[in-house]
Parts: sequence; C-alpha cells; structure tokens
Amino acid sequence: MIQKKICMLGAFAVGKTSLVSRYVKSIFSDKYHSTVGVKVDKKLVVVGDEQIDLLLWDLYGEDEFQKIRESYLRGSSGYVLVADGTRRETLDKAVVLHSRAQETVGKVPFVLMINKADLADKWEIQSEAVTDLGGGGWPAFKTSAKTGEGVEEAFLALARKMVGG
Amino acid sequence: MGDAVKPGNGGEAPPVPAEDPLLVELRGLLLAAEKKDVTQIQERLDDPQSRAEDISHVLPEAIAIRSRRDRDLTDSLLPAVEEAIGISVRRHPDVLVDGLFPVMGPAIRKSITNTLAEMLESLNQTLAIGFSKQGLKWRLEAWRTGKPFAQVVLLRTLLYRVEQVFLIHRETGLLLCHVSAPGAAVQDASMVSGMLTAIRDFVGDSFGSAGAGGLDAFRVGELDVWVEQGPRAVLAAVIRGTPPKELRAVFTEAIEKIHRDHAGDLEEFAGDAAPFERSRGVLEECLKSQKQPAEEKAARRRGLRRYAPVLGVFAVLAAAIGFWVFTTVRRNERFERYVRSLAAQPGIVVTASGRRGGKFFVEGLRDPLAADPAPMAAAAKLDPKEVVGSWKPYRALDPPIVVARARTFLSAPESVSLRVDGATLVAAGSAPARWIQESRRLSRSIPDVSSYDDRGVSDTDHAGLDRLRKAVESRRVFFARGSSELAAAESERIAQASREIGELGQAASAAGMPVRVEVVGRGDSEGTTDVNLSLSRKRAEKVQAALGVPPAGVALAATGVGASQPLVEEKTDQDRQVNRSVSFRVILPEPK
Repeated sequence: MIQKKICMLGAFAVGKTSLVSRYVKSIFSDKYHSTVGVKVDKKLVVVGDEQIDLLLWDLYGEDEFQKIRESYLRGSSGYVLVADGTRRETLDKAVVLHSRAQETVGKVPFVLMINKADLADKWEIQSEAVTDLGGGGWPAFKTSAKTGEGVEEAFLALARKMVGG
Repeated sequence: MGDAVKPGNGGEAPPVPAEDPLLVELRGLLLAAEKKDVTQIQERLDDPQSRAEDISHVLPEAIAIRSRRDRDLTDSLLPAVEEAIGISVRRHPDVLVDGLFPVMGPAIRKSITNTLAEMLESLNQTLAIGFSKQGLKWRLEAWRTGKPFAQVVLLRTLLYRVEQVFLIHRETGLLLCHVSAPGAAVQDASMVSGMLTAIRDFVGDSFGSAGAGGLDAFRVGELDVWVEQGPRAVLAAVIRGTPPKELRAVFTEAIEKIHRDHAGDLEEFAGDAAPFERSRGVLEECLKSQKQPAEEKAARRRGLRRYAPVLGVFAVLAAAIGFWVFTTVRRNERFERYVRSLAAQPGIVVTASGRRGGKFFVEGLRDPLAADPAPMAAAAKLDPKEVVGSWKPYRALDPPIVVARARTFLSAPESVSLRVDGATLVAAGSAPARWIQESRRLSRSIPDVSSYDDRGVSDTDHAGLDRLRKAVESRRVFFARGSSELAAAESERIAQASREIGELGQAASAAGMPVRVEVVGRGDSEGTTDVNLSLSRKRAEKVQAALGVPPAGVALAATGVGASQPLVEEKTDQDRQVNRSVSFRVILPEPK
C-alpha cells in the first residue's frame, strides 16, 4: 500500500469541506480548520491493483485574512485545486494558489475541481476559461459535492498521475 | 618522433625489430636516463622499507581527505582500533589510566551533578506529595512493605504506559510505522500522523524558529505526547501517566537506530511504508517500557511473598514481645499491690520500692511483731525469690502492734481479748485466776500503755470450782430410818461424790485455793433431838469413812446436824426419807 500526501487548496467557501466530508474518511472535527488551519483526512483510491491512501491536507480557504501556511504544503506529492464554478474570482485564486504550491513543492501532479456543478445555471466560469488554463494542460473536473459528480474521477486521475498508473 | 617515444616511456613498447643494431643504439642513447629512473622506481616499489617511507609522507593528508568524503575509513579502522584498545587495556592499563585521567574527573563530576539533580527532583516530588492523601497512602504502603518511603514514591510515580508509537516521515507527515499497546484506544494512525505533523508545523510556524522542529512534547489530560525528531523521520510516543525523563533516551536511541537502518529508505521514500516494517521491533521496544509498572506491581507482590517468612518471624516476635509486655505489666501490677498491702500493714513502713538488677525490692522499717512480708509476697502471686526485702527493726505504736506486744508480755491466753483504748489496755474474756492475778501484778510494766483494765475478764477457775461445788453439794446419801448403816445401793452415790470431790480438790489446788468439804449428816424430825443428832453424826462419819483419804488440798470434816437443818420440810414420809441423809457442804474462799 502506498500513501501520498495531497493538499486541497482553494479560495474561501468553494466547498472543499463539503467535498471532503462526503467522500473521504475523516476523524477530526472541522474546528481544526479555523484553529490550526488544516485538517487531515484520508481518501482511498485504487489504481490498477494498487491501493493508494491519499492523506488529504485540507487547507483552510485562503482569503485576505488568512494565508495558507507553506509548511503545510511541504512534502506533498500532489494537490487539488478547488474553485467555485459560480464565482469567477475563485478560479483566479486557484491559479495563484497553483503557482504558490509549485514554488513550494515543485512541479507535482495536481487536478482542478470546479465545484458546484449542480448549480450549472449560475456558473460564471466558461469552459473556454478552463481549457485555456496553463496553456491547456490543466486537468480540470466539474464536480459536485451534492451529487458526487466528478469527485471520484478527479481523485483517481490525480492518483494515477502520482503513481504513473 | 613523439609517437615513437611514448611507448618507450611506458617500457611497454610494441615489438620493435631487435635485430636492428642502429635502433638499439639509438634507444640506448635516447633512453639511458629514463631507464635509470624506471629501474630506481622499480626498486623503490619492490622495497617495503622505502614504500612505507613514501606512504608515511602522505598518510595524514590521505586520512583527512578520505574522512571528509565518507565514513568508510572509520568503519574499516573500527575493528582494529577496538581490538587495539582492548589489548592495551589488558597489557598496559597505566597508559590508558594516565590518558583518561584528565577527562575522568569532569565526567564523574558531570555524572554526579546529573544524579544529584535527579535526586533533588525526586525529593521535590516527595515533598510535594508528602502531606497529600495519596502521600499518606504511600506512607502506609511503605510501612506495610518495609520499603523506604522514597522508593515507594519512586515506584508509584513511575507508573506510566507508552500506548502508541508513531514513526512519521518528517517531510510528508506520512506514517511509516505504528505500534500500539494492547487495549490502547487507537484512531486511524495515518490521519493522526498527518494531523500530528500539521500541529507540529503549526506550533513551529507560530512560536518556534523555522526549521527548529518545535514541539517536542505536549500533554493532553493524562496523556503525554513525546516527539523525538530525526533528520528524516519523527518518532511520536503517546504515554499515559507520568513518564520518567529516562524514557526519552529510549526514544532517542530508537530514532537513531531507525535512521541508521533505513538511511536509504528514508531518503527515497515515496509513499511506500513497507520497508519500515523491519523496524517494528525497534518501535515495540519503546512500548516495552509500558510494562514496567505491571512488573513492578508483580514484583511487589512477589516481594510480599518473599517477605512471608520474615513476616512470620516478625509475627512470632511480636507475639513474644506482646506476651512479655503483658506478663511484665501484670507482674508490676502485682508488685504494686503487694507494696500497697505492705504499707497498709501495722508495724510496717515502706520507704522505697521498685526494680533493681532484674528484681523487685522493698525497703523500710518493720516491727518484729508485724506481719511477715515473705508470705505476703507469695500471697500476692509474686515469686518470693524475685522480691528482695530489706527491713530495719523499729518499735511501732500502731494499736494492733501495741496489743500484740502486750499479749506477748502478759502471755495472755486465747480466751482473753485485748484492745487499746487511748492509753489504756482493755482486757476481756475469761482467764484462770492465777493469770488474772499475775497480769495485775505486771500491769504497770506493760509497754506503751499507761493503765490496764481487766474488769471484763472473768475468773475461769472460780466458775469451774463453782460448778464442781454445786455438783458435790447436790449429792445425797440416804439412810434407812434409825440406821447409820450404808445401804448397798448408796455405795455408788458415794463413789460418785468421791470422784467429784477429787476433781474439786484438783481445781482448787490449781487455782491455789484451799477447799474444805463438810460431810453433813441429818435425821428426820421423828425421834428425840439427841438421838437424831447422834445418829446424824454417825451417818456423816460413816460416809466420810466411805470416801476414804481425801485428795490433796481438800479438808474433809464430818458433822451431824440432827433434824435442825432439814433439806426439805417434812410433810410426807418421802420428805422424811430425804432428810434421813448425808449431804456435802463445800467451803471455798470468796473470789477477790
């Protein structure tokens, strides 16, 4: 069994916590977010015949009041960027977080989850904006914490990238 | 040219046609100097002496260079150095001692300082708990088990248990290995490992200097979390209770060993924790210390069992001491009672008492007439041999002693009781007349009294004589009318009277009194006075003669009174018969 440290990064209120609470195993209370600034959860994925434990460091959403701690990023094998499809600025934030993560951990695999797919009619982010990201190389997934759409796929894609499966 | 020369330099020239004498000569000319050098080099290489010489020039630098590069030199030298030191210690201990001497002092001082610091810490702990409820409990335990209090405190305070040990990859916070004690509450270790790392990062970022690692220990309720940090991995131990400081050394050694064993694994770690399974044993060693309290408990139980024979002996000893104390106390009580009873005795004055040389002693004054202390000791259930009495004689004026002394002085018979009334000795009861007279004579000399009162003493002699007199005087010897002949039936009466007169005489002579018995003959009123008188005298003489020789001290006299003193008034013949008789009259001196 392989373990990998994964960071979840995103702007404030993009639904990271909802994603985590419905689709991963958690033993710690959400209050760690607002105190320590991180909560560690676990997500089991299977790539081929290999089990992978993703240790998800769910970092408190960055806003103007709180910066993410770079020390939490250290040692990550990959990261998940989360944006809110209904708020354009969250995608911009994701781009900023992406570059900060790369500064800290180098070029490691990542995926972008554009959350709240269930509210498609309210979306501000156009598909073109996503496909243009990073010169078109960003693996982006439309996800919904409510319906579960895209969540498993996103995690699995990230895991594959990390173990080369 | 150059091409041709190069091979020659190495001495390994490709085969050149040797038969060309020109070439040979040319070679000789061109290479003569080099050939000499090569030969010299060859000689130096073959000669160990000179090779050693050469190496000696570069050896220090070589060692320095290699040591900077890696540890291989140290590793290869280690066995030889160890063996050399071993041999040196065996062969030339002095050299090593001299060498170590300068460092031994500081090392010993440091060790002593550390020990003292630890002792002080435990002393502080002891003082802190000394007066608490728990402290009292431990004191009781110390008393029960016979262990020093400090030791009990140490044992009790060492109660701890390492419940979990996490080996965490430092950079990623991923779990490398996790062990837990049986029964310990365990959450998902990989998540705990991550969160622990996050919290350490958080604390390090918030309070510590970056990269210092920060949190080494923290406490949550009864649980301590100790973190031992290595360059690539972190060991975190969750400990219940109060762990001793020494425990950290166990963790330090473990993390060091893991770094040694897994140097490569740690460097190349990419999420696969499998290689670290090999170190599970090392981590379990850390858990092992959690068994210490249980062992101590068992040891205490074993200890109690081991002490069982001692406890048994102790119990017997205690019983013996108890018995000894009991008998001693009882003996002391008896002795005190004895002394009190002695003091209450008339004629005894106790001046000192107590225990001396393993025996009881009583000292004082004792009137020779007072009670004997020795039997009294026996009566008080004391062994007379254990009681030494030392008595000085004195003359007591206690009334009982005065009475006793008077009794001795007067030789008073049992029938006389004596008492002291003021300064007067009062006698009562009965005594022979002779004693009464004698005691009166001695009365002025009776010790310790000024007067003597014997009015209560009756004369036993007089009473006896009186009884005998009455018996004698009631005897009658009867005669037939007109006859002075003794009837055969009367001889018995005469014999009886004779016996009684004998007794009377004895009693009288014993009392020192003369006695006179008159044999009085009578007649009835019939007949003439003269005849009656003569007849009565004859009758008296007849009885006197029949009585025989009177006993000593008795004077017998016969007299006839005729009908002048009749025993009864004559109304019938029977009355007259009574008066025809002989009776006896006893004459004794009146008692004084």
